[in-house]
Amino acid sequence: MNRMQSYRTAAKIAWRETRASSGRFLFVILAVAAGVGALTGVRGFSRAFHTMLQRDARTFMAADLTVRTFQMASPVQAAKIDDLARRGIAHTQITETLTMASPLSQTAPLLISVKAVDPAVYPFYGEVKFNPPMSIAQALQPDTVAVADGVLLRLGARVGDTLRIGGLPYRIAAEITTEPDRMTGSLNVGPRVMLSRAAFEKTGLLVPGSRAAERYLFRIPPEIPIQGIREELRGVFRDGLIADYSEAHPLIEQGLRQSTTFLSLVSLIALVIGSLGVATAIQAHLQQKMDSIAIMKCLGAKSAQVTRIYVLQTAGLGIAGSLVGIALGSLVQMAFPVLLSHYFQISAVPRFDAVSALQGLVVGLLTVLLFTVPPLMGIRTIRPALIFRREMAAPALSVAEWWKQKAGEVVSALVILTFVGVLAAWLSENQKTGVYFAIAIAVGMLSLAAVAWALLKSLRWIGRHLPRQAGPVLRQGIANLYRPGNHAGAAVMALGVGVMFTVTVWIVQRGLLQDIVHTAPPGMPNVYLLDVTAANRDAVYQLISSQKGVLQKPEMVGAVSATIQSIDGAPMQRDEGPREGGRGEGGRGEGGRGEGSRGEGGRGMLRRYSRAISVSAAAEKPAFTQVLEGAWWKPGEVPEGADALVSVSEQAAKVLGLHPGSQIVWTTPQRTFTSKVVAIHKSESVRLTARIEFYLTPKALEGLPAIYYGGIRASAEAVPAIQKALFDKFPAITVVNMAEVLDTIQGVVDQISMVVRFISAFSILAGAVILASSVAGTRFRRIREVVILKTLGATRRRIAQIFSVEFFVIGTVAGLMGGLLAGMFAWVALNRLLDAKSAPDAWPMVVSIGGTAALAVATGWLASFRTLGQKPLEILRDE
Amino acid sequence: MTVSEPAAIIETALPASLSIPASPSIIDVVRLTRTIVTPTHKVEILRGIDISVPRGQFVAIMGPSGSGKSTLLGLLAGLDTPTSGQLLLDGVDITGLTEDQMAEVRGRKIGFVFQSFQLIPTLTAEENVLLPAELAGAGAEAGGRARELLTRVGLADRLDHYPVQLSGGEQQRVALARAFITRPPILLADEPTGNLDGRTGEQILEMLLELNRHEGTTLVLVTHDPALAAHADRVITLRDGLVVSDEAVAAAAARG
Repeated sequence: MNRMQSYRTAAKIAWRETRASSGRFLFVILAVAAGVGALTGVRGFSRAFHTMLQRDARTFMAADLTVRTFQMASPVQAAKIDDLARRGIAHTQITETLTMASPLSQTAPLLISVKAVDPAVYPFYGEVKFNPPMSIAQALQPDTVAVADGVLLRLGARVGDTLRIGGLPYRIAAEITTEPDRMTGSLNVGPRVMLSRAAFEKTGLLVPGSRAAERYLFRIPPEIPIQGIREELRGVFRDGLIADYSEAHPLIEQGLRQSTTFLSLVSLIALVIGSLGVATAIQAHLQQKMDSIAIMKCLGAKSAQVTRIYVLQTAGLGIAGSLVGIALGSLVQMAFPVLLSHYFQISAVPRFDAVSALQGLVVGLLTVLLFTVPPLMGIRTIRPALIFRREMAAPALSVAEWWKQKAGEVVSALVILTFVGVLAAWLSENQKTGVYFAIAIAVGMLSLAAVAWALLKSLRWIGRHLPRQAGPVLRQGIANLYRPGNHAGAAVMALGVGVMFTVTVWIVQRGLLQDIVHTAPPGMPNVYLLDVTAANRDAVYQLISSQKGVLQKPEMVGAVSATIQSIDGAPMQRDEGPREGGRGEGGRGEGGRGEGSRGEGGRGMLRRYSRAISVSAAAEKPAFTQVLEGAWWKPGEVPEGADALVSVSEQAAKVLGLHPGSQIVWTTPQRTFTSKVVAIHKSESVRLTARIEFYLTPKALEGLPAIYYGGIRASAEAVPAIQKALFDKFPAITVVNMAEVLDTIQGVVDQISMVVRFISAFSILAGAVILASSVAGTRFRRIREVVILKTLGATRRRIAQIFSVEFFVIGTVAGLMGGLLAGMFAWVALNRLLDAKSAPDAWPMVVSIGGTAALAVATGWLASFRTLGQKPLEILRDE
Repeated sequence: MTVSEPAAIIETALPASLSIPASPSIIDVVRLTRTIVTPTHKVEILRGIDISVPRGQFVAIMGPSGSGKSTLLGLLAGLDTPTSGQLLLDGVDITGLTEDQMAEVRGRKIGFVFQSFQLIPTLTAEENVLLPAELAGAGAEAGGRARELLTRVGLADRLDHYPVQLSGGEQQRVALARAFITRPPILLADEPTGNLDGRTGEQILEMLLELNRHEGTTLVLVTHDPALAAHADRVITLRDGLVVSDEAVAAAAARG
């Protein structure tokens, strides 16, 4: 018989087998589907999102090219823009800043992010949509604004009401429903208020040094190459972040890639758990097929032939499961835009992604096949004599044979682990991640298996030593856990992994928020003032000092905006963005600061220091500041005409490679000056002063325009009154109430962890499926047992109780184990990795135990309720 | 390669030294012993058996429990390895074969009927009958033969039934049809009527004998039942692992 034909025959027999016991295989299919579904969903969405970013890149940017700076255009820059305009390149300017707004009524003002646009030109691509529908020119008149629904919601205002911004009244003309470049906007802390540039200029919110972002949008005719324009702009906007649509949002792309990797690995865990379930189910299946296999061998089947039948069967199940998973994945993919709707207005994500579907199919099939290798290898050891005469079935294994079997198991475990590692490396596009993932899986599974084993073992002991009064229900329920063929250990482990993972994410999320909200030490300001001008400084200080509810002396820090020109003679590298490649001003790799060795994060940090930064003057060492290296200056230490002295924060020193003795040359629009590093310092992180990373001797900054920041610690109920008092007198000052910011942070953390929990819940699903298949696998034994118990006079209710005890124990043990390990992992994550202090929290534990127990009982019953109705006679007659 | 005759497979699969010499007998058992060593003691189940069965003969093996008759049948089927001695089926020494080679020999030369039917529960009657042929790589023609055999045992209307939907007697009839599907030269039967009531047992035996005659098979049957053994050409009685009697049955002669 040739190979093709032998496969055809095997496939035929495999199909007949599957057809006859399709019910049992439902669980196998579901277990695979859970993992593959999560995986294809995540990857499909990611790819679709990426495609959409590419396709609608111009729309998302509302332009072909943008330049973002935090300073007003200099004469040179303005001249360049005019020059481009003469060559047919249209441009428009957008200013984004944070400020306060309040309706005319008495409510406290709200922190908003303002966006000033030129309605005649903006946007170049895409469309701003309003409710009620109108054109952007209609919505943004000199005395009107359009606002996001958040503004209306939080101020209790309506379209048509009046809003005060910078002390001036504006009518709310419409609600903004779609804003094309929302994702690429700069300051998205508060809800959006959009107004025309004409309207904005009236507010007087823009002062030199204030925290406004300027974006210049360019529309470049197709015949002009974008790269050339980019180069030209780079020449004049040395501090600016220049991006063209072809980059499709470096930051979003990076975020997308990272979250895809993370969620893919979470899905892979679901798939691994699912595959464990498949392996368990196949093993149970083969156990029941032992007789059939022995018969086939008696009838002349070779081991290879039988193995081929079951490999094909398993492969078929793997494919079926993967296909169901792909269908499930499309649902997941559809769920993502909803989960993320708060951040991205995603409307047209294609629903089906063939590549990720194919990936899901291949990964699902391979995983299933690999995980079922150990049970399938067992086929070879089934002897045909088994059915012929039982006593001939168990020839004593020699030590060598026994070792051969064990070695096979160890080898296949290693192969599986390697495969999982390779898969993880492929999904994350990082070899190291693959290695760590495989090790983590191995360690996690082994420790879970050990705990499950120990718990079940001790339960068995307890079950045997239960006093007679405990009654037969409890005793028998516990004894049921150890019935032959009952994979209680596997079920506990699988459920436990899922629970562990989901609960870990949950605890970390709770812990993080708790840390932010509750553990802020007393003394930390909870209200911040931004953009206080030098002229207003004293008046503002007096006003806030005299407010009721202010708990301690307010802090005020002045800062000057300056740029580092060179360090120790080496010009500061102007890194423009994450785009790689040698294009640029030639500074890279030529002795400029900071090239090369620093990683991604280092380069990001470096970029921060390459732009205009806030520096502050200090006559002496400020309070709450600790000198780590060098020594702080004494008042009047610097002689007239000498270089200024500077103290640098620990972090800035690390990123820029500064040490006492280093020389920094600064530039400001007014002048250039040199300073010498004398100290490296560290501030208590809760202080306002911690934001200042460079302290200079006062003389150096004299005469330069300073902006002041204030910090107030006030009782929560006093905050609205303080905000209002400030707004009434100084409408241009931005007051940030930390409670509001925390709301935003909480929103972000909630959203992210919801996505992660959503995906990791698939591993719980896989765990439940394993439990169900384990229960279904022992169905025949259960039926017999039910029948015997009924014959002996047990009521249905009594039997139901016995089964419930069994499922309840499995769920409780899994919940306890998962919860405990989750608590441990979360503790490590919070305290060691995230540096957040968290108090132990009993709530997740209670939920994980209760929830898992309920899930286990429900799943167990779903898989076995039919057995209860069995009439005794049908079964007994069959004997 | 086209579909080959099952016979060709076994010949190509076997070592060259195992060429098939012409032999008058189809089964040759020479000084066969089987000893089981357990940690506590050593049990000699077969202590030196010599039997030769000519082609087409119907041999009944009898003996009390523990006499070794089932072990002997298992060894004949290549389901177990003898401790010493030689076992030739159709002239081929099967004692040194690997498990897979043994499986091929079974597929080619041996049909089985078991006391407890041993049908595969997930296959229909027809599929159960087809299975050995398919395992041996038979082509489409096997389907016709399966239906023909099932018709011959009176189950033409039960082709699509699963074993659970059949009575014990019907299941054993399916097993009979399955045993003959590959036209094996040897049929081994282990208490084929042991699980059936008297009347059904009679019917099964008649069908077995009828098929045996029709197909010209050599039949080795293990039984407790003297009435069953009375139908045989020859009765071999075992006790304590040895042949204590081996005689032709008068009834056979009488039956003519």
